[in-house]
Amino acid sequence: MIYTNHKIEFDPDKCVGCQLCYKACFVDVIRWNYEAKKPIFKYVEDCEHCFYCQSVCKRDAIKVLPDPSSERLHQHFERYE
Amino acid sequence: MDLNKKNLSCDLLIAGGGIGGLVAAVEAKENNPDLDVLIVEKQFTGYGGKANKGGGVLQYFQLDKITPMDFLKFHVNEIGGYLGDQELMLKYVEMNHELLQKMDAWGIVMPRNEEGNYFMMPTGPFTCMISVDLDLCLKMRRVAEKLGVRIIDKVTVTDFVVKDNTICGAFAYSILEEDNTFYTISAKQVVIATGSQNYRVGAMWSSGRGDGIAAAYRAGVEMRNPEFGNFSQLIRVGSHGEVVFGENFMYNAKNEHVTENFTDHRQTDICSLAIREWYVNMVNGTGPIHLDYGPDKRDVKAVNQDWQRPYGQRFRECRQEFTNQFDNDLEVVPLLIGEQSCIKVDHDMATSVKGLYAIGDASYCGSCAPGAVPAPPARNRGSGILNAVFAGVLCGRAAAAAETVAPAEITEAETDACIEKTYAPLYKEEGHNAKEVIELIQQAMCPSEYSVYMKADRMDEAEKLVKQAKELAADLKAVDLHDLLACHEAEAMVLSAEMHFFASRARKESRGWFLREDYPEMDNENWLKWIILKNVDGEMTLSTEDVPIEKYPIQLPKKD
Repeated sequence: MIYTNHKIEFDPDKCVGCQLCYKACFVDVIRWNYEAKKPIFKYVEDCEHCFYCQSVCKRDAIKVLPDPSSERLHQHFERYE
Repeated sequence: MDLNKKNLSCDLLIAGGGIGGLVAAVEAKENNPDLDVLIVEKQFTGYGGKANKGGGVLQYFQLDKITPMDFLKFHVNEIGGYLGDQELMLKYVEMNHELLQKMDAWGIVMPRNEEGNYFMMPTGPFTCMISVDLDLCLKMRRVAEKLGVRIIDKVTVTDFVVKDNTICGAFAYSILEEDNTFYTISAKQVVIATGSQNYRVGAMWSSGRGDGIAAAYRAGVEMRNPEFGNFSQLIRVGSHGEVVFGENFMYNAKNEHVTENFTDHRQTDICSLAIREWYVNMVNGTGPIHLDYGPDKRDVKAVNQDWQRPYGQRFRECRQEFTNQFDNDLEVVPLLIGEQSCIKVDHDMATSVKGLYAIGDASYCGSCAPGAVPAPPARNRGSGILNAVFAGVLCGRAAAAAETVAPAEITEAETDACIEKTYAPLYKEEGHNAKEVIELIQQAMCPSEYSVYMKADRMDEAEKLVKQAKELAADLKAVDLHDLLACHEAEAMVLSAEMHFFASRARKESRGWFLREDYPEMDNENWLKWIILKNVDGEMTLSTEDVPIEKYPIQLPKKD
């Protein structure tokens, strides 16, 4: 399956509720909690480790922790051995 | 969960709010301020798409030192394999400085040195790249909004409505539960700016899921050059980070320089022969392949810092910290990028359906401009963004000048039928997960010996996987709207893979990027042709068009 295992660290105390991370996510991993005025990292298994959410956050409230081994390249390494 | 139904109307509907869609909207408005323009974007206009996730580079031609014809000659002979629309490629080169001036006027930041010249890096014998800051789409969104362009975000266009081969609008749905609206949009003209098919593999390209291409195909729009949607790029095995300037420095496990004599100039992008070398070494037991730049090493990081792009620099620093952590050695592997961009368009970016246009990565190969090579950046570093701007400008001008009439009505019954079809996976008790389908399509498309260095028996294996995926895709279940979108994207991926193999089997030759082990020679007698695919009553039909090489400036090489 194509789920990834990237992690996203989020510090709610640093977050000022600007929504930029929510807008920046181009694969719909991040949704918005309008009551709490904070992001919801709802579909982290679909994160592509593009780092866009981290880079637009002006308060350093987000850190993406990628696990490249969870991304499959689908080359036939086993056949080549 | 109650569904809201909303009817909208506009003069010009643009599906997709990436750089191409935004440029088309702005250009149309600037040429015809009375035009009512609406952008509908699946994610967020200004943030979505691919233009702001990449290297932030634009192809630049030093037109005081070379002529457009110099570049055309190089491109047709060395890259495009005589399969290009030379008139369109020439126009793209001729408009290079005009496009940059437009971007400048729209407020897009393209850094210059103290003398006022762009920072330039050569990327081939006739071309350079300059830098652009990665907030370019945000800048364009502001320009569009100032001109009165309406924008709806988090809404995906699912189908185009065509009657008597004329566009009359589109259906779209919100992917947010708190909105949950289905839109029926009546439009006199429609632009497809939804990107290419990238099969959800590489990070930067992950938003290109071919849904606009699939919707166009279902609506009966002709497709052209679908077999050139198999671009691959070298990535580092550790971080999966892309490698630039790697092709000429590939070494095998015996430390043999396997791409020593590829080109006499450094190229930013890989050619398919290098992918073939990777595969041949792997099957012969002389893999893995690593890079060794030697004393000629070019410090790309330093160049990036010189380029002074505050917005883009922060993005690159976040990535750099991560790649430094994972890249202990320079072992490389090809990663499928795809870039199928096969909607057939003319020189105004108009499709085979009246009033329907397709631009940027949705129609790059369908326009035939590049010839036998996949969509940008395929071998033309920096041409991705600029091609989208080029196509957006041509399309925006044409749409602004077009004489239009009120579109045919979209009936309530047609809307209800589309609602039933669109949301069906949500109401199933049981069914397959979209990711099962995508996994199978990736297994069929990603191996280099299936999609890049092709052969009939290997395509048999790949097509079995596509067939399995298609069977699963007929019975998909979604748990929420995010998942529903994944179902529709999975269906689009199945279609793209089908088109790729259908056309690739037919093209019994090798040309440009297109490589077949079983037909290794270029066959100008039989295959100086574009392949056209079309949905006719649910069946994929194939026909060909002769490349009108006799009217182009660059002719085939003379036979000995």
